[in-house]
Amino acid sequence: MKNSRNLLILLGIATCSTTRAAGKGGPSRPRGVGPEFAKYYTDPTTFSCILHNTVKIPLSSVNDNYCDCPDGSDEPGTSACSHLSPFSPFTEAERLSTGDVDLTPALPGFYCKNKGHRPSYISFLRVNDGICDYDACCDGSDEWAHVGGTKCEDKCKGIGKEWRKKEGERQKSLSKALKKKKELIFDAVKLRKEVEGRIGDLEVEIKAQELKVQSLETAFEEIEREERGKTVKTPKKGKVALLAGLGKARVEELRSALIEVRSQRDESRTRVKELEDVLSKLKAEHNPNFNDEGVKLAVRSWEEYAARETVGDLSGDAARDGDLFEISKPDSASSGVDWERWENEKEKDEFIYKILAYLPPSLVRYLEDKLDSVKSFLIANSIISETDLDSSSESKAVTDARNALNSARESLGSTRKSLEDHRLDIGREYGPENVFRPLKGRCFTKDVGEYTYEHCFLEHTKQIPKKGGSSVTMGNFARISSMHVDEARSSGQIYSVEKTTIEYENGQMCWSGPARSTIVLLECGEDDEILKVVESEKCIYSMVMKTPAVCSDEDVNGNGNGSGSGSRSTRIIGKDEL
Amino acid sequence: MLPCRPLSLLVILVSFLMVPGVTVKKENFKTCEQSGFCTRNRAYADDAGAKGALWTSPYELDSASIRFKNGQLHGTVLKTTTINEKVRLPLTVSFLRCGAARVVVDEERRMKGEIELRHGSTIRKERYNEAGKWALARDPELSESASLEIDKAAGYTKVSYGPDGRFAAIIRHTPFEVQFQRNGEIHVKLNDRGLLNVEQWRAKVDPPDGDSGEDQSTWWDETFGGQTDSKPRGPESIGLDIAFPGYDHVFGIPEHADSISLKETRGGSGHHDDPYRMYNADVFEYELNSPMSIYGCIPFMQAHRKNSTVGVFWLNAAETWVDIVKTKSSINPLAVGISSKTQTHWFSESGQLDVFIFLGPTAQDVSRAYGELTGYTQLPQHFAIAYHQSRWNYVTDEDVRDVDRKFDKYQIPYDVIWLDIEYTDGKRYFTFDPNNFPDPLGMEDQLDGSGRKVVLIIDPHLKNVPDYQVDHELKSKGLGVKDKDGNLYEGWCWPGSSHWIDCFNPAAISWWAHQFKYDKFKGTSPNCFIWNDMNEPSVFNLPETTMPKHNIHYDGWEHRDVHNLYGLTYMSATYHGLLERKKGVVRRPFVLTRSFYAGAQRVGATWTGDNLARWDHLAASIPMVLNNGIAGFPFVGADVGGFFGNPDKELLTRWYQTGIFYPFFRAHAHIDSRRREPYLAGEPYVTIITQAIRLRYQLLPAWYTTFYQASVEGLPIVRPQYYIHPDDEHGFAIDDQLYIGSTGLLAKPVVTEGAASVDIYLADSERYYDYFDYTIYQGAGRRHTVPAPLEKIPLLMQGGHIIPRKDRPRRSSALMKWDPYTLVIALGKDGEAEGSIYIDDGESFDYQRGAYIHRNFQFGGSALWSEDIGTKGPKTGEYLKTMAGVKVEKLVVVGAPQSWQDKLSVTVIEEDAKSSTTTSLQFHAAQGNKAAYAVVKNPNVAIGKSWKIEF
Repeated sequence: MKNSRNLLILLGIATCSTTRAAGKGGPSRPRGVGPEFAKYYTDPTTFSCILHNTVKIPLSSVNDNYCDCPDGSDEPGTSACSHLSPFSPFTEAERLSTGDVDLTPALPGFYCKNKGHRPSYISFLRVNDGICDYDACCDGSDEWAHVGGTKCEDKCKGIGKEWRKKEGERQKSLSKALKKKKELIFDAVKLRKEVEGRIGDLEVEIKAQELKVQSLETAFEEIEREERGKTVKTPKKGKVALLAGLGKARVEELRSALIEVRSQRDESRTRVKELEDVLSKLKAEHNPNFNDEGVKLAVRSWEEYAARETVGDLSGDAARDGDLFEISKPDSASSGVDWERWENEKEKDEFIYKILAYLPPSLVRYLEDKLDSVKSFLIANSIISETDLDSSSESKAVTDARNALNSARESLGSTRKSLEDHRLDIGREYGPENVFRPLKGRCFTKDVGEYTYEHCFLEHTKQIPKKGGSSVTMGNFARISSMHVDEARSSGQIYSVEKTTIEYENGQMCWSGPARSTIVLLECGEDDEILKVVESEKCIYSMVMKTPAVCSDEDVNGNGNGSGSGSRSTRIIGKDEL
Repeated sequence: MLPCRPLSLLVILVSFLMVPGVTVKKENFKTCEQSGFCTRNRAYADDAGAKGALWTSPYELDSASIRFKNGQLHGTVLKTTTINEKVRLPLTVSFLRCGAARVVVDEERRMKGEIELRHGSTIRKERYNEAGKWALARDPELSESASLEIDKAAGYTKVSYGPDGRFAAIIRHTPFEVQFQRNGEIHVKLNDRGLLNVEQWRAKVDPPDGDSGEDQSTWWDETFGGQTDSKPRGPESIGLDIAFPGYDHVFGIPEHADSISLKETRGGSGHHDDPYRMYNADVFEYELNSPMSIYGCIPFMQAHRKNSTVGVFWLNAAETWVDIVKTKSSINPLAVGISSKTQTHWFSESGQLDVFIFLGPTAQDVSRAYGELTGYTQLPQHFAIAYHQSRWNYVTDEDVRDVDRKFDKYQIPYDVIWLDIEYTDGKRYFTFDPNNFPDPLGMEDQLDGSGRKVVLIIDPHLKNVPDYQVDHELKSKGLGVKDKDGNLYEGWCWPGSSHWIDCFNPAAISWWAHQFKYDKFKGTSPNCFIWNDMNEPSVFNLPETTMPKHNIHYDGWEHRDVHNLYGLTYMSATYHGLLERKKGVVRRPFVLTRSFYAGAQRVGATWTGDNLARWDHLAASIPMVLNNGIAGFPFVGADVGGFFGNPDKELLTRWYQTGIFYPFFRAHAHIDSRRREPYLAGEPYVTIITQAIRLRYQLLPAWYTTFYQASVEGLPIVRPQYYIHPDDEHGFAIDDQLYIGSTGLLAKPVVTEGAASVDIYLADSERYYDYFDYTIYQGAGRRHTVPAPLEKIPLLMQGGHIIPRKDRPRRSSALMKWDPYTLVIALGKDGEAEGSIYIDDGESFDYQRGAYIHRNFQFGGSALWSEDIGTKGPKTGEYLKTMAGVKVEKLVVVGAPQSWQDKLSVTVIEEDAKSSTTTSLQFHAAQGNKAAYAVVKNPNVAIGKSWKIEF
C-alpha cells in the first residue's frame, strides 16, 4: 500500500527507459537524454557507458535511479550520478569498481525539451530536488518524480513567448549596440586622424616658431649690444647706491617671505591643534570593541605621537617669535637698515668712466669694446653675474626684445609639449580599435544608497555623497585590462569568459588602509550605463557597466544565455520542436 | 588634552610589557588580585594551607537541627566568626531522582531580611536564590528512595540514594564536611580542605584606631578601571573546596581558550597563575591558553579517572573563580587506591551556595543527569546543522543575492546566509537600512527558492534616540535594566548611547517576543532566524566591557547576582519570540548566542566568539568545542577562517576541513577582512573546500542522528577520547581529535601549516578504516600516521559502526529531504556492526507527537536488518506515509569477508512485501592495507520500514 506510489515511480522509470516516447518523427530517447546523445541509447538490450564503453550494463539499468557508469551516462534522467564531479568527496566505493578512472560526467545535464521554448540542459543535482527550476526547465520535467508532492506545471508557452519577445528586443538592442560600437570605432579613427593631423600641423608650426625664435635671438643680441654701450656710458647711480637698491629689494623680498611663512605657520599651528583635538577626542571616545583596524592604528599612533611630542604646546620660543615679529616690521631710520641714507650716498663715478670722459671717441669705442669683452669673460666664467651689470639699468628696447624672445620661446615650448602629448596619445592604449578613445572623459553616474557613483572613462571613478559633502576619488585611470569571469551554463558547467575591465588606482587613501581602487567590468549593452557598484571590501570597489564598446557579434548570437552545449544544435532542435 | 597624557603613556608602557602578538586588552579585565573576593578567598585558602593540620574549618552542622523527609535533609550550619559570633546558615541537602545530590547553604539573617543596606539602597536583602529558575529545566524531582541511615549521635549523618542505593552522602557535623561515595568509595568531598567560606552580612563599622583586625580594604567600595562599585551589601562571597580523590583530570567550566583537561592554577611550570574565571565578558582578541573569562560560562565540571566519571555543578550566576590544584602522593606507590587527587576551590561574589554532585559512574551518566537537570540540547531545525555563510557584512540585499547565486554557480551547498549589524537602519534593531536593503522580502524570497534561510543579528542594547519606537516602548514600559539609583541605565554600544532590555522581567520577555511577529519586524519572512550577540552584556565604555555590578534588575536583584545569566535570559526571550511568529504556526526556533550559561542548550547554539585567522586559533577551536560539549552545551562551533584578519588559502582550506566537524558550522569574517567566500579561493582550494562542505552534507544524516541523541540524552555531539574510551588513561587529555557522536567517525583535523600527515591516536584494538580509501589502521594505545595532504581530510571509521549518508549533492540540505540513503557498514573485527538513524521533518515539533523515524541497524551473522526503535505517536502514521518513497540506494560493507568474493547478489526482505527480492552485490578484494569491501546496489528498501538483507 505504502509502496504503491514508489512502484509507480519505478514503473515510470521503466516505461521511460524502455519505451520510446512517441515523438513527432525524431528518434525517441530515454528521459533526460539530449538529441546529440541519442545514438548511445539505441541498443535494445545493453548500454555501454559513453566514456567507458567497456562498462556494459543491461538497458534496464538505464535511469533506474542508481549510478552504474563512472561517467554517469546510465542516469540521464535522474540525480543518481549527480555526485560525479571533482567537487564531491569520493570514497573507494563511489569509484565504481574501475579504480582510478576519470570521473568526468559524459552528459552535460538533464535535457529539458521545453516544448514551446528553447530546449535546455539542467544540472543533475537539480533533478527531483523538489524545486521547479523554470529558468532552465520551463516544462517542469526536472521534477518528474514529484518528490514531496512537488508539481511543476509546464510553463513553456508563457516563458517561451516572453523569452522570444525579450530575445527579439535583445537582438534589436544588440544590433543597435553593435552599430554604436561601429560609430565609436569610426569616431576613434576620426579622432586619431585628427590627432595625427594635429601632429603634422604642430610639426610645421614648430619649424616656423623655431625660425622666429632664431631671428628674435639675433635681434635681441643686437639691441642688447647697442644698448649696453649706452647704459655703461650713462650710469645713474654709484655702486653703493646700486647695491643698496638691490639689498633693499632683496630684504623686502625676504621680509615679505618671512611674513608669509609666519602666517602660514600660524595657520598650520591652528590646524595641528585642531587635528590634535580631533585625535585626542577620537582616543577618548573611540570604541575599543569596535574592531576597526584603522581607528585602532590611529589611536595607537596618536598615543605614540602624544608621548613623543609636546602636544598642545606649539607656541615655541616666545622670545624668538618676538624677534621674528620685530624683523617683519618695515625698515626705517630707527629700526633695521636706513636704506634712504645708503641710496642717497653721493655718487662716485668709477674710475674707468671718469677717464672716458677725457678720451677721444674712437678710443672710447675701443675701450668700451675691450671692457665689454672683459665683462663677457667675467660673466662667462661666473665671476660676476649679468644682473650686477644691467638689472636695474635696462632700456625698454632691450626689455621688449627680450620679452618678444621669451614669448616666442615659450610658445615654441608649449607647441613642442603639445606635439609630445599628441604623439603620446597616438601611442596610448585605447582598447581594441581604439574603441575607448571617443569615450575618454565621458562620465556616467549611478545612485546607490547614500551615494552617487561616477565613472569617467579613462579618467577616474568617484563617490559623491547625495547629502552633500566632498566627493571621494575611488581611483584614477591606471589601465585597460581584462579578467576571467566564471559563468555557468544552465546545466551547471562553469566556463570562463574574458571580459574587458578598466582599472582605476590610487584614489583617496582609506583609514590606514589602501588607497581606494576600482575595477570597472564592462559588459555589452546598447547604452552606457553603470549597472552595479559594490564595495565588497573596504575601499575596493567593483563596478559593472554596460557599454556598446565591448560588444561583439558573439553577443548577438545569443551566447549569453548559457544554453547547454552550443547554441547551434539547440536552436535547430528548437525549430524541430516548434 | 593634558589629562590624556599619563593614560596614553600607561597604555604604551603596558603594550611594551605585553607579549608580542598578544592583542587582548588584558588591563581591561580583572585578575584575581584586582577582585576583592577572589583575593580574600585565595588568602583564606593560603592561610588554611599554611596552618596545615592546625587548621579547622569554623563551620559545624548543628546535630539537633537535622530533619530528613522525602529525600531532603534540612539542618543549620553554624559559622563561628573571628569574634566568636555564631552565624546561622540553613542547609538543605536534596537527593534527586536523576541521581544527583544538591547542597544548598544560605544565610538566615539575610533570608529574613534582617540586614541594612548601605547608601540607602533598595535592592533585595536575600542572597540570590533564583539562578535555578533560569538554569534548570524544571524543579528537580526528589528521590523517594533516598534514606537516612546512621543516626546523628556519632557526629555523622549518612544518606543512601541513587540507583540501587549505591550512592551515599556522609555528612560530618564538626567541622562540617560532606563525602560522596559510590559503592563505598569516596569520589567527591566538600570542604575537604576546610575552605568553606560564607561571608556573613555585617554592618560597616570603622575599626578603632590601631586595630589590626581583619583587612577590610576590599569589603566595601571597590574601584577598577576608574569605575567604583558601591557594594550596598558589603562583602558577601561564598567559597567551597571540592576534592576529587583519585582523579587526575577535570574538564568543563567553559568558556576558556584552553585545553579540555584543566590546568592547575596556583602557578608553576605549565600552570596558570590565576584561577579559571567565569564572568561573561566581551574580550577583544582573546588570548589562548588562558584561564581568562570570555563570552559565556557553564560552572559544570567533570572529573574523570579510569572507568569513572563524576561531576559538580555550581549553580551561581555571580562572578565565579575556580582554583585547581592536583596532588600526587608518592609515599607508597604500591598502595592500592587513592594515589592522586584533584582539589578544586570555587568561590562566587554573592548569592547562595548551591552545588550539585553527580556520581556517574560513566561520563554518559553524568551528562545525562546534568541534562535532566538543566535540559538537553534542543533538537535544532535541520538547516541549522548544515553550512552557514556569514560575514560582517553582506552590504546590500543585492550583495546577498549575488553571494547566493555564486554558491549555486559553483555548486557549493549552503543553507544559511547571515547579516551582521550593518543591515539595520543606523543600528536600530528590527529595522532594515532603507538604502542598502530596500527589498529584504525579495531577498528572502530568492533564498527560499532553494530552501535557504537568513539569520539576522538582534542585540540587547537599544539605541537611545527619540525616533526609535522600540527604545521608546522600552522606556515607557520600564523594561530596561536600571542603574543603582533606579533610573534607566544608559551605556554605550554599537548604536552609541543605548539602553539594555531586562529579560529577568516577565513583562520584558513577552514584550520582546512580540517584536518578532511578522507585522512588527517588517521585512522578515518565515525563513528568517536570529543571532543574539553582545549579550554578556557588552558595554563598550566600561571596564570589563560590561555594565556595573550595582545595576539593578527586575525584582530588585543586583546585576552582581545575575550577571552570568543575562545572556541566557535574553536569548530565551528571543527563543520565545521565534516559537510562534504567527499565531498558530509553531516552529523550532534557531537562536545563536554569544553569551551563555547552564541551560542555554535548551534554546540555541553558540560559537567561540571573535577568534583570529591564525593557525593557533584553528587548533584552539577543537578543545573549545569539545569542552562545551562536556559541559552540556554541545551545539557550538568556531568562526571558520578566523574572525579577525585574513587567512591564507591553506589556512582557510584547513579551517573548512576542521569546521565540518564543528556541530555548528559557520564561516564568518570581520568587516575589515578580505572577502573569502569559498568560491573566491582559486584552484585547487575551491575544489578542496567544496569537497569538505559536501562531505558535511553527505554525513548530515549521521549528524542529525547525533543531535537527536544529544536532545534526549544530553551527550556531547563531538566527543573527546575519554567519553568513548573511559578506560584508556593515555587518551584522557587528548583534545586534538574527536568522535562524531556514537557514529564511530573519528576525525583529527589538520591544524598546522604545511602538514602532509597527522598522527591519530587509537585507544582500542578495533579496526579503523580510512573514510575515503578504506586503509586499515589498527593497534591500541598508540598513534598511527595518516596521510593528510591538503586535499585529504584525516577521518577514520571505527569498525563496528553503521553510518547513514546521503550522497547526492544538492543546493541546500532542505533539497536533500527526499533523496535516498547510503549505509556504510564498517565491520568490526568480530564481523559485526551497529548504527542508528533518526529522521523527522526538520522544522516542526511534530516529532514530539511521533512524526519521526528512528531505526537501529545491525549487521551480524551475514545479515543486515533495520528495526524500529521509535515510539509511536498520533502523527507517526502520517509521517511514515510521506516518507514511504525515501529509500536506501546503496550499501557499502567495508571490511567485507573474503568469503564473499564469489557472491553476486543478496536477498532483500521488507515488511509487508509479498516476497523477497534479490539485488546485486559487487565484491572488491583487499588491496595492500586497504580493506576489502562490497557494494550492494539499490536494495530499494524504505528507510522508514523494517527489513532484512541477507548476504
